[in-house]
Amino acid sequence: MKLINNKMAILSILVVVVGSIVMLLNSCTASQKISMKSGAQLWSENCQRCHNTPSPSAFSPEQWETIGMHMQSRALLTNTERDKIVDFLKSAN
Amino acid sequence: MKLLNKLTIRILAICLFVLASTVTRAQEATTVVDSSLLNRVSSLENEANYIKPRESHLMAVGLLTFGFVSNKTTVTYNGSSSVSKTNSLGDADHFEFSPMFLWRHGEKFLMEFEPSFSADGVGVNWAVVSYYATPGLILRGGYLVLPFGIYNKRLAAGWINKLASDPEGIADASDFGVEAEGGIQAGTAKWSYDFALSNGMQLQPDGTTEFIGITDNNKNKLFTGRIGFLPLANSSIEVGASLMTGNVGDATLKITSATATLWALDLNVVENITPFQLNVKGQYSEAKVENANYTDPNDPTHDYTFDNHTKTGYIMGALRPMFSQNNVVKNFELAARYGNYTTPAKSLWGTKDNSLAVGLDYWMNWRTVVRFSYEAIKGTSTVSENLGGNPGEITKSNSAYIQFCIEL
Repeated sequence: MKLINNKMAILSILVVVVGSIVMLLNSCTASQKISMKSGAQLWSENCQRCHNTPSPSAFSPEQWETIGMHMQSRALLTNTERDKIVDFLKSAN
Repeated sequence: MKLLNKLTIRILAICLFVLASTVTRAQEATTVVDSSLLNRVSSLENEANYIKPRESHLMAVGLLTFGFVSNKTTVTYNGSSSVSKTNSLGDADHFEFSPMFLWRHGEKFLMEFEPSFSADGVGVNWAVVSYYATPGLILRGGYLVLPFGIYNKRLAAGWINKLASDPEGIADASDFGVEAEGGIQAGTAKWSYDFALSNGMQLQPDGTTEFIGITDNNKNKLFTGRIGFLPLANSSIEVGASLMTGNVGDATLKITSATATLWALDLNVVENITPFQLNVKGQYSEAKVENANYTDPNDPTHDYTFDNHTKTGYIMGALRPMFSQNNVVKNFELAARYGNYTTPAKSLWGTKDNSLAVGLDYWMNWRTVVRFSYEAIKGTSTVSENLGGNPGEITKSNSAYIQFCIEL
């Protein structure tokens, strides 16, 4: 029981610390809803979460449609994010 | 008069000949121009047809990881040591060639299939069909990568990873089942969810758990779920919490009531601090198997049990001068990872491992990398002496990697 309490205390402290850092960083970041962002901005913000940002010329427009569906599932993008990113990649292709 | 007529006829004949020649030449010239234009038009039509969205589209991508590893392992017990060395092309356990086929039907269906050839032979990483039901809801069925933590599903691929090796204790978690997932916007923040029901793990005689085969060995299903939260508008921070729980017992054996519960926390931070890009990624998880007895390998008539509790975690940092003006410098990336892996004491596989890995990557382009990594792992055995183990035995493993990874 004591062990569980200690773990819970450590976990709570961790949550508070991470939460505080997040709040601090959030206050320094310009807040903008997805609907107000361009496809290029969403492309640069979301792809780099896991891997390097791909070049629009890496695939054909039709291939980007297919890859867009695949990546929406991997990164759990919203539909708006996916559509805007794919439209940008197709137009810059 | 006859002479005049003959002259007139000759002049007319010459005029007709000249006229006919001109027309023929004109026609020839027109034919040449038309042929060239037709070829060009045909070529453009082909290009247009190629990029025109269709009902169905099949494409192949994939990845390859190849390299070299040199390893030295020292095992020390009761003051005496033994040393073994290996040098391996194919990058030992990390060689992988995995083509991936994506087959889109309209805007609602996507089939994904990734076979894989590795040191384990030929296998399948995933084979699923996804239905994009509504905004924020994707339904899936097939052979899934389960949503537990972020490493397996998003970061494990060689061309994405920053280091040559995987963190210790993060096992493959693919299973046959169904899945529902999606991303949801909440103001400037985002949430994501990913839930799966699958056949589940099977408890092995030594207390480990494995995903084996299509046929389930009990009536219960394994639940796996992850909730992700991206609090910042620029999606630069993601935290996630995962849970996996289910019956792992075999309905035909005496361990029917055995259950496994796993939970995990993960963190993903990507910050661009000009001229650098900073990556911090980490995952911590615990696994507990309860209500199970195990068969003594030395005496099959004798049962034993232990606190089947496993803990594993890692934190990885990487720094790349991505926004440097120098075209060579900006392709280098430094990475380091600390890991901890503790398996159950008094079991056949009990150990306390600490690992440290460092690496230097050179990105040839966004999806091709050559990396040099070094990893040191120190493990202290906590196996049961009664089961014939050597508790206190220390294993030090040092590995140097040269690795090439590409995504195509």
